[in-house]
Amino acid sequence: MIVSIDWLRDYIDIDIPLEELADKLTISGAECTLKYSGVRIPEGVRVGKVLETRPHSDAEKLTVCKVDAGTGEILNIVCGAPNVKEGRRVPVALVGTKLAPDFELKEVRLRGELSQGMICAEDELGLGNDHSGIMLLPDDYEIGRAFADYYPVYPVLDVEVTANRPDLMSHWGVARMISVITGKPFKKIPLVLEEKGKDIHGITRVSIEDPLACPRYSARIVTNVRVQPSPAWLQRRLEAVGLRPVNNVVDAANYVLMETGHPLHTFDLNRLAGPEIRVRFARKGEKFETLDHKERILSENVLLICDAKTPVALAGLMGGLESEVDENTRNILIESAYFTPSVIRKASKEQQLSTDASKRFERGADPNERLEYARDRLAALIAELAGGEIARGLIDFYPEPIPAKRATLELENVRRITGIELSAANCRATLQALGFEILNANDKRLEVRIPTFRPDVEREIDLVEEVAVNHMDKIPSMQRMSISVPASFDAFHPFLTGIRQFFTGYGMHETVNNSLIGESAAAAGIWGYPPLKILNPLSQEMNVLRTDMIQPLLGSLRINALRKRGDIRLYELANVIEKDPSAETGAREHHNLGVLCSSSLWGLNWNEPEKSADYFYLKGILEHFMEDRGFVYKLRENTQNAAFEILCDILVRKELIGRIGQYRDEIFEKLQLQHPVVIMELQVEKLFEWYKPQKQYTPPPAYPSIFRDMSLVMDKKTPANVLINEILQQGGKYLIDCLLYDLYIDDKKLGEDKKALSFRLEFRSDKKTLKDSQIDDVMSKLFKRLENQYGARLR
Amino acid sequence: MNKATVTEIRKQFEKALEEVRDTAALEALKHGYLGRKGIIAGLFARIREVPPESRKETGELLNSLKTDLSAAIDARSMQFAVPRKQKEITDFSMPGYAMHHGSRHPLTQAVDDMLNIFQHLGFDIAYGPEVEIDWYNFESLNFPPDHPARDMQDTFYTEGGGVLRTHTSPVQTRYMSTHKPPVRIVAPGRVFRNEAISARSYCLFHQIEGLYIDEGITFADLKGTIELFCRLYYGKDVRIKFRGSYFPFTEPSAEIDVSCFLCGGKGCPVCKQSGWLEIMGCGMVDPNVLKAVNYDSERYSGYAFGLGIERMLMMRLGINDIRILFENDVEFLKQF
Ligand SMILES: [Zn+2]
Repeated sequence: MIVSIDWLRDYIDIDIPLEELADKLTISGAECTLKYSGVRIPEGVRVGKVLETRPHSDAEKLTVCKVDAGTGEILNIVCGAPNVKEGRRVPVALVGTKLAPDFELKEVRLRGELSQGMICAEDELGLGNDHSGIMLLPDDYEIGRAFADYYPVYPVLDVEVTANRPDLMSHWGVARMISVITGKPFKKIPLVLEEKGKDIHGITRVSIEDPLACPRYSARIVTNVRVQPSPAWLQRRLEAVGLRPVNNVVDAANYVLMETGHPLHTFDLNRLAGPEIRVRFARKGEKFETLDHKERILSENVLLICDAKTPVALAGLMGGLESEVDENTRNILIESAYFTPSVIRKASKEQQLSTDASKRFERGADPNERLEYARDRLAALIAELAGGEIARGLIDFYPEPIPAKRATLELENVRRITGIELSAANCRATLQALGFEILNANDKRLEVRIPTFRPDVEREIDLVEEVAVNHMDKIPSMQRMSISVPASFDAFHPFLTGIRQFFTGYGMHETVNNSLIGESAAAAGIWGYPPLKILNPLSQEMNVLRTDMIQPLLGSLRINALRKRGDIRLYELANVIEKDPSAETGAREHHNLGVLCSSSLWGLNWNEPEKSADYFYLKGILEHFMEDRGFVYKLRENTQNAAFEILCDILVRKELIGRIGQYRDEIFEKLQLQHPVVIMELQVEKLFEWYKPQKQYTPPPAYPSIFRDMSLVMDKKTPANVLINEILQQGGKYLIDCLLYDLYIDDKKLGEDKKALSFRLEFRSDKKTLKDSQIDDVMSKLFKRLENQYGARLR
Repeated sequence: MNKATVTEIRKQFEKALEEVRDTAALEALKHGYLGRKGIIAGLFARIREVPPESRKETGELLNSLKTDLSAAIDARSMQFAVPRKQKEITDFSMPGYAMHHGSRHPLTQAVDDMLNIFQHLGFDIAYGPEVEIDWYNFESLNFPPDHPARDMQDTFYTEGGGVLRTHTSPVQTRYMSTHKPPVRIVAPGRVFRNEAISARSYCLFHQIEGLYIDEGITFADLKGTIELFCRLYYGKDVRIKFRGSYFPFTEPSAEIDVSCFLCGGKGCPVCKQSGWLEIMGCGMVDPNVLKAVNYDSERYSGYAFGLGIERMLMMRLGINDIRILFENDVEFLKQF
């Protein structure tokens, strides 16, 4: 909303610097910036007169002009425009004028002819886009005068009006706020209304079908008007606040809207069948063409203004083409009505039509004072601008007047909420300046009548706010604070922070992915959760909530792969969402960790050949992660998902809490990845429930370990973990670890169905140094068992 | 041959072992001591020289020497498990081995930094779901049905009658519904807005909500807390400005500006020459919100605030396209 300072001065004296005014309004809740409306013509552009012209001897399209620009000498200027004419007044940029920040006009010779300035076209001065010729000015423009004088700029305030303040969408509203700030009185333009001629009731009639939707409908008629362009002062004011002048009637209605904030409508009376006004809801599917040349299909939610036959306007939104006021209009019906905010809001949403009128009606217009003033003011203004006579009397349908509310402000509550002590006089002055009427007052409380143009104010707390925002900078900042001791201390966030540090430490990048994904991506989710649909999605690629962490991470993988990023190691902690109709919200949320890598195992090094970080890389990290947090877990191969080379369920306490796997390479063929894609997802919220941070320490070993290596040849089909478990179980009481450190396959040497695995066994006692002989025994027994059980032989 | 000889040999071995730098040298050492013709074998051969009554003792001594040496060699060989390059490296100007470097996302880092400060100020952390019901997201927060204030927040609706929370404020009423006053919490999380994705806006962003309800809490407490937070987060010289605003769930409401941390308030493109940056909304909790959770609004009062992480972070990092925060280009991520 733009308000003009010049216009505001009609209602209030402004005697503080405008920057300060803007700052103070901002502090008081009307966030605004001071701007200048209009074009700033560069200094050095003057009105000049072309005294004579002659063609350039050496250039067909150029003209050499003698120009008087009031500088005391006659200037010689070369001009390229076809429309330059002797005797005409033109804008002339003198030598030294800065036409652009980096362009200063100089005296030059153009093909031998001296040019001491420039005759300007519209676009060169920022006044328009026309470059077809120079500007030709009216003859009453004064030669030598700064051209800028004919293009005044107006200081304006660009105000951001919050959703609760319809009253602020007007010069009146802002003027009242200024009144609180400066203490100057707010004053309205006195109404002078001269009724003449016929009585309005003899001309037209108004009927309202639904007074709940239209509690008040008030009308006046002005006859015998002459519709023509508005006078310059009115055009300027409208332009300054960003409105395009149309004609004196439409402009007058807009003027009163911007003045009072009350939306009005004008109809060409002769084009109203009857002529009469009927207000009713649309029938389903009814069609209507609005002023913006759109044919609209309506529902029963749209309130219509109709004449005796057809609709003529969407109530509170926009008029129709048929009854529009134009240059042939002679008689005018002025509508000043109050529509129920929710009715206008519904229609505006349904028709996707937001207008100056609808913005005010849906927030709540004033059914009383402003409605009446605006109606009469518009009638008077039309009579003044377009001639014509105001018909006697008015039509005013208002079966149940909306009363002003009352509220009482206890001064103690101002202190209790804001922390400042304000005197009764101070509160009283503030509220009065804002238009509240003081009904009763003493030094403890104020009883006020709330003006109906403030629908946002109802309760005592609202009055506290009115007082508080106007003393915002006086509220002290408490320097000694007492705090309530929290009832609990969250441990989940630190748990998550630990996880973040863990994976970052392993060289992974934390990501933040979109929670919204496409239905087909969600269907690929590794948990198989039914996805929760968005009813009003931004696009089909974002029409459900993610059902796992992996699909969005695959999106990030794709972006990185397309940009040829080599090593990609990503993780994220966030919610995945499972549709659950039995839940209050319709959804069950799981806070999960997702990990996705397609990376080398370590960076390119001079000491090692490059290797891929494959499934076993992530499995190793999982092992560390679980051990670190004291969880015992099992992996169980999951063969349900064909996209995976290997996929395992991660089980803790026999419950599924995660999955880990490696995708089949062919799935990513198009991305030309260097490394396999491995993933892991963990339900960290569940892990947190079981997590016990206090671990007791184990004393470091007091006696040395004995290591024994063992290379065994066995069937390729024998799973390594079966063998490891067997070794750990059968290795005797001193065996504390079994590390698989080599896998060897050589079909010629070992046989096609054989593999060799090497284990390093660590033996230790916490009571003594072990002797080789003790271990030799264990080893030979162990080996026999493996030989019998698994057909293993020593390599 | 006596105990001293064995001790001497042990010492020599340990010294030699220390000097071993590669597998080949270790093999040689092993061969020298434990080989068929090695020192230990030699000692066993000389056991005949020992008087018979102490042969058993000497035998045990030699056995334990053998066990210890072979254990020491085994242990040492572990350190050479990865074979060294053939060439001995003498050029120590060679670069260090390349390690993978990880990084934290700037958004979660900023959230952690802020939560950390609020925890020091005695706030507990609370959580709420991302899929909300209308009552928590709007109605309990004093957004009447069909009110224009709802237009301030373009909402995603989900099947089953839910909404994606448009702010972290529903955590306020969720928490108060299950906790008696006093409450003092901060709630971090994702929030969603149904806005076309562009350089300036994304369909989700992060907020931190704060709430303090107790007896005798005033706007002055709010000012004090926020000022302290800003000094701890933005630096002690930061200036703070409160200006009136409107949120349905607070009354009075205010927006908070801090002096621009890039130009110090002189004016620059980031603060659009104003010298100020808008960082959060706040206010005194509206009595209607307290009533919705059955708190006695005559007895209790308190404040709430909410700050958006993305906007603040974009200003601080000089990001002019919000989408880069959600693309996860590793070349972006690794900078943090
Ligand atoms: Zn700045």
